[in-house]
Amino acid sequence: MIKLKRSSILAAVLGFTLALSGCGGGGSTAEQPNEPPTTPEQGQGASGGETAEKPNLRMIMQYGLFDPKTEFAAKYIQERTGYNVEYELLPAEGADEKLNLLVSSKDNYDLVKLNAAQFYNLASAGALEPLDDLIESHGNYIKQSIKQESFGSAMIDGKIYGIPETGAGVSIGEELVVRQDWLDELGLSIPTNTDELYDVLKTIKEKKNVIPLTMSKDSIYGDIATTFGVLTDWKEVDGQLMHRAELPEMVEFITYMNKLYKEGLLDTETPINTAQKSIEKFAGGNAAMYKLAWWNAGTTISALEKNFPEAKTAVVPYLKGKDGKAVVGAKANTTWYISILKSSKNKEATMDFLNAKLEPETFKGIAIGEEGVHHEVKDGKYYPILPKFNDDLNNASSFLTGVDEEKYPIYWQARVRKDPVLQAHFEEFQSNAEGLIVVDPMSTAPPIDAVSKNLLRLTTMLDDNVLQFISGAKPIEDYDKFLAQWRAEGGADMVAAANEWFQSSK
Amino acid sequence: MEDHKKALEGNSTARGVIKLSFSEKCFAVFNYTFFILMGLTTLLPFVNLIAKSLSSEGAVISGRVGLLPVGLQFDTYWYVLQDSLFLNSLKNSVLLTLVGTACSLTVTTLTAYPLSKYRLRGRKWLLLMFVFTMLFSGGLIPTYLLMQNLNLVNTFPVLFLPAMINVYNMLIIKNYFEGLPDSLEESAKLDGAGNIRILLSVILPLSLPVMATIGLFFAVAFWNDYFAAMIYITDPGLKPMQLYLKELLVSSSGDFLKDNIDAAINTTPQSIQASSILLATIPILLVYPFLQKYFVKGVLVGSVKG
Repeated sequence: MIKLKRSSILAAVLGFTLALSGCGGGGSTAEQPNEPPTTPEQGQGASGGETAEKPNLRMIMQYGLFDPKTEFAAKYIQERTGYNVEYELLPAEGADEKLNLLVSSKDNYDLVKLNAAQFYNLASAGALEPLDDLIESHGNYIKQSIKQESFGSAMIDGKIYGIPETGAGVSIGEELVVRQDWLDELGLSIPTNTDELYDVLKTIKEKKNVIPLTMSKDSIYGDIATTFGVLTDWKEVDGQLMHRAELPEMVEFITYMNKLYKEGLLDTETPINTAQKSIEKFAGGNAAMYKLAWWNAGTTISALEKNFPEAKTAVVPYLKGKDGKAVVGAKANTTWYISILKSSKNKEATMDFLNAKLEPETFKGIAIGEEGVHHEVKDGKYYPILPKFNDDLNNASSFLTGVDEEKYPIYWQARVRKDPVLQAHFEEFQSNAEGLIVVDPMSTAPPIDAVSKNLLRLTTMLDDNVLQFISGAKPIEDYDKFLAQWRAEGGADMVAAANEWFQSSK
Repeated sequence: MEDHKKALEGNSTARGVIKLSFSEKCFAVFNYTFFILMGLTTLLPFVNLIAKSLSSEGAVISGRVGLLPVGLQFDTYWYVLQDSLFLNSLKNSVLLTLVGTACSLTVTTLTAYPLSKYRLRGRKWLLLMFVFTMLFSGGLIPTYLLMQNLNLVNTFPVLFLPAMINVYNMLIIKNYFEGLPDSLEESAKLDGAGNIRILLSVILPLSLPVMATIGLFFAVAFWNDYFAAMIYITDPGLKPMQLYLKELLVSSSGDFLKDNIDAAINTTPQSIQASSILLATIPILLVYPFLQKYFVKGVLVGSVKG
């Protein structure tokens, strides 16, 4: 009996100690916020002795299907910069929650690679270190590589909170692709405007009994919308910014699409199609036209040709609008932001590391490896050497922390040249778009509160409604009603805030 | 063959003797169709997945693969079996399932045994504390902070240590122990056995069905768990199978690839996704048939008090 009693007391004591250690842990995290202010001073004092031992750094990266420890790029970066970096990946799903957890736990992370929304959230929560001084003192290569207007996209209240990574530059992702063999068979030529497109689709429907045009719910704008003047999210009209939801042209576009839908010329499953589903229909010979992304072109076209050896496809040049001109909308947004956490104890070293990665030779090595080993140069263009390039550099883009904005778009194209079909489509899309590109006027905007808070939600709301209008689930006469609701749910605030920036940036 | 025929005839004559009424026949027909349909709805996705994993990528992309492979190939399996991320996560899952199940079963049994004894002081109070944790928990962030301060984040033990006691399973074992006659314990005591000896040599050998059942519960739970790893693990070398699979699928979905061209160029082909899923499912599928007999028996035995 006594033994048993003792054991129950032991259990209770154990419980209390556990509870106490839990509280102790909470206390220690609460103390940490006091530490950062002291570290920069120490850092500045030590900045003269840069040859001192380089600290280990910890970096949070976006999700990728690889193990950073075994990646070529990681080893290469360590060799070139002398910094030993421990990389950790955010999960593929629930990345934002995990990021908040990691940052709020104040667990010795030094730098993070963030998307625009994550960057804005962390910066406005005060978790990121302003970088102006650090870039000034340690960032000679950074200043050389990144343009001033790109830094604008990383500024909040006049301070830079991240190094902007613009990626591969402005390029066009999608264009309509049509079954040329069917056009030939029916004696049709490639349409050049929406009227001709309608006739072509109608003839295909009558003669071939397939889906004339399939589209995915995730990509409803593009080639057709641009002919009506609906390009990207934002458009400058008489010196004012307008969101595409507000454009009268939007209603014209919806009306046209609704006509296609009613007459069975547009895939009736458009509101539920994923890109994968649409590709299935196109490659399976059940659809005649699809707005294909070049990164899907390799697999899609080779699948189609295997299924139907006689099949031939052609890219439809961007359709002309009412004024006889074709335009293409493109975004030049900053894709990633690389920020230093306020809780980091190695801020100077981190900036030194980021700077070293942009040293021209090092940067080229991270981007496309060594000449003769990973890539070769033909007529001034970079070509990958396969399979070495894929083996070593498939995931190298994840390790970039800012790019040389002049050179990277050229280096990067080596990635496109891995597959001739993919390369052909990429190059044809770009040459078709040459001289027609209109860049979204909000591309270089800094994070704006009313925009960051609302854009994603309002975009989803708009797209859902556009699909309903196109499929006739809602009558087009109700568009004004929808627009009023869109404005009331934050649209009006967002547009006003965007315009405020736009006027001040002129 | 002959025997088989005879057996069939024997069956049909037997059926002839017990005549089924019309309504019974209707019911049987309905029953069979219903359950065959139910069976097919769970079986067909598997068959489709097998077909996809054995088909050429082109056929999969163009939606031509139904229940039979189109353009038969086995390269996808070789590819997956050479993929270090896949193999590593498989190793982690197997290790997690073995170690986790062993530890959980030990700790859960050691908790259940004293709690099954009525003479334990404060038994009701202790039980209440356990049941309390079944209904309420500290919440995700406090739990994360706890793990962090115990230095468990990004370590292998974090995947099973917090899950070692499952109160529900503990109560099932406790109930089973309570069903064993007290006289067993008394006679062992007369022979001079201590508490540990009684548990090991008398109680446990009598509890094999419930141990097998709960063991299987734990094993399946550890094998299928991705959540703990998703929260506590950022080191890809420590990720278990299920998290790897989940991320493989999510990272190929439209939402993830939006605005991320570099990821879009590198998407995993669908046939490789299918083979990864299959290869990850096979190990636990193999365990099931051998343990299933205990499964049914064990829960039943545990639920009926002797």
